[in-house]
Amino acid sequence: MLRIESLSITLGEFSVRDVSLEIRAGEYFIILGPTGAGKTVLLETIAGIHTPESGRIFLGDREITSTEPRSRNIGMVYQDYMLFPHLTVGENIAFGLRQKKISPAKQRALVEEMGSLLEISHLTNRYPGTLSGGEQQRVALARALILRPEILLLDEPMSALDGRTRERMRSELSRIRRVTGTTIIQITHHFEDVFALADRIAIMREGQVVQAGETSDVFLHPADTFVAEFLGIGNIIRGKAEPAGNIARISPASGPSFFAASDIAGDMVATLHAEDVILSAEPFASSARNCLPGTVVEIIPSGSTVRVILDAGFLLTALLTRESCCDLHLEPGSRVYATFKASAVHVIPVTSQ
Amino acid sequence: MKKISLAITFILFFVISATLLGLILYSPLSVLARSLANPEIRFAILLSLVTSVISTLICIAVAIPVAYALARYQFPGKRIATLVLTIPLTLPPLVAGIALLLFFGTTPWGKALDQAGFAVIFTPLGIIVAEVFVNLPYLIRILRSAFSAVNPRFEYVAKTLGCTDTGAFFQVTLPMARHGLLAGTVITWSKAMGEFGAVLMLAGATMMRTETLPIALYLNISGGDLDLAIAAATILILISLFTLCAVEYLDRDVHVF
Repeated sequence: MLRIESLSITLGEFSVRDVSLEIRAGEYFIILGPTGAGKTVLLETIAGIHTPESGRIFLGDREITSTEPRSRNIGMVYQDYMLFPHLTVGENIAFGLRQKKISPAKQRALVEEMGSLLEISHLTNRYPGTLSGGEQQRVALARALILRPEILLLDEPMSALDGRTRERMRSELSRIRRVTGTTIIQITHHFEDVFALADRIAIMREGQVVQAGETSDVFLHPADTFVAEFLGIGNIIRGKAEPAGNIARISPASGPSFFAASDIAGDMVATLHAEDVILSAEPFASSARNCLPGTVVEIIPSGSTVRVILDAGFLLTALLTRESCCDLHLEPGSRVYATFKASAVHVIPVTSQ
Repeated sequence: MKKISLAITFILFFVISATLLGLILYSPLSVLARSLANPEIRFAILLSLVTSVISTLICIAVAIPVAYALARYQFPGKRIATLVLTIPLTLPPLVAGIALLLFFGTTPWGKALDQAGFAVIFTPLGIIVAEVFVNLPYLIRILRSAFSAVNPRFEYVAKTLGCTDTGAFFQVTLPMARHGLLAGTVITWSKAMGEFGAVLMLAGATMMRTETLPIALYLNISGGDLDLAIAAATILILISLFTLCAVEYLDRDVHVF
C-alpha cells in the first residue's frame, strides 16, 4: 500500500540511491543498516520533508511524490522525540488537531482518549523537559497517532531508552499496532526489535536496499556477505520456551529441543551466533549443554571462513575456518554433531502475534 | 597567579564602578532633574526613543527572514553573503556613516529617493537609516545563532502534523528562538539609542532637529553646558544597565555577547 519506485535523493553526505520498496497495509516493516546508510533520509522523504531527485512514491493508488507533508497523512516520531519544549504535553498532543482547526472541546476529548490509550493522561499539564525518556516517547507517539495516520514512521524510537523501558515500549508498539491497525515503518539498530515486532525487514547499505523480505528469510538466506556479516547472528529459531530447572527448554516448531540460559517462557525467538556452533565428527563430552546430530546441507565460502548449513531437524548455521572445514572432510550429506552452550543461546520473547 | 588575577579583577571592578558612579553622582539630583526638564533634553529623549523603536522594528522585520535563510538554507554565494552582511559589524560607525552619506548624496538611487520625498541626509529619517544600517548585521548574527540552535526536525515534525512551512516557523521555530529574539531586540534598541558616529555623518548634528541623546551630549559638551551633557550621559548609562540586566536574564540559554 506504500510503494516506492526507484527513489533517489542526496542530502549532504547522506544519500538514497534507486530504492524500491513495497510496504503492505497494516504491516510492521523494519529498516536495518549501519550508520550513514541513508535510513533517516529515506524515512523523511516518505514523510515528504525532502523532494526526491527521481523516483515516485505511492500511498495506495495516490501518488504522493510531490504532495506536501501535511497532506500525506503520514506520522513521524524521531529518536529524540522532538516534543515542542514551549508547549505542554496536552498542547503537544493536540498540535495536529489545532492545525486542522478542530474545535477545542473535540480536541480535549481526543487528547483525553489518546492519553488513556498511552497511559499519559496524568502528564497533560506538564512540560516535555520534565518527563522521563519513556514518557516523552509516549507523548511523541500520542502526538503522531492522534491524527490517525495511515503510516507511522519511527526513526530509532527506542535507542534513547534503557533496556527495561525499551522492552515495555516494544510491547506497547505492538499493542498500538493491534489497536489502531496503523502501518508502521521503523528504523532500528536493535535486533530484538526485529524479532519481537517485524513482519518484514529491509537491509540498507550506502543508500541502497541490499535485501528486503520476510524476517526469517533474510536472516536464513542473507543475499550477500555484507548482509550476513551485518546480521551476524546466523541462527534464528522460532518456538516455545518452558522452564527446566534454572534454564529453559526450547522446543522449535520442528526438530529436537535444546537448552538456553534464560528464564523466559512462552512464544519466543532463539538466536545463536554461527561462530558459537562447534562441529565435530563424533559427539564429545564437554560443559556445553547442547549437542545435536545433523546432516550438512550446504557449504558457503565467505572470505577466510565458510558457513556450513546443517539440517538438525531445523536449519542450523555454523561458521568455521576453511582449515577446520577441510580437516573435518565436510561436504553436503556429511553426518556431524553440532555443539553449543546454553548460555550462547539468546532468547527474545515474541510480542507481535 | 591566583593572587595577581584576583587583584587585577578587583582593581578593574573598582575603576569601572568609580568612573560610572562619578559621572552619575557628579551633578546633584536637583540639577539633574532640572536638566531633564530642559526642552532640548526632552526633545533628544523623545527623538531617540522614536527613532530607536522604529529602527529596531525595521531591523527585526528584515533580520528574521535573513537570519533564517542563513541558518537553514544552502545557496550559492552563502559565504560571501555572510561576509558582506557582517562587514558593517566591524566597520567603525563613522565610516559606515560616510558611506551612507555618499550613497544617498551622490548616487542616482539616492537622488531618486530624495526626489520621491524620502530625504535622508541631515533629516530624522537619516537617523533611522543610520541606526538600521549599523545594527542590522548584529541582530542577524544573534538570530542566526538562535535559529541554528533549533533542530530543523522540530519543523519537520510540525509539517507532518499539518503545518505549512510558514506555520511551522511561526508556531515552532520562532517561539523556540524567542529568548534570542528578545535579547537581540533589547540589544538592538539599546545600540540604536546610543548610536553616534553613523548618525552624526548621515543625519548631522542639528540642534532640536536631528539631536538624539548622544548628539545632545556631544553638542552640549562642545558648547560647554556640562549639566545638560551629563543628563544625557546619565540616561544613556541607565539604558545600558537595563540592557545588561535584561540580557543577563535572557542569556541563560542564548549567548549574544
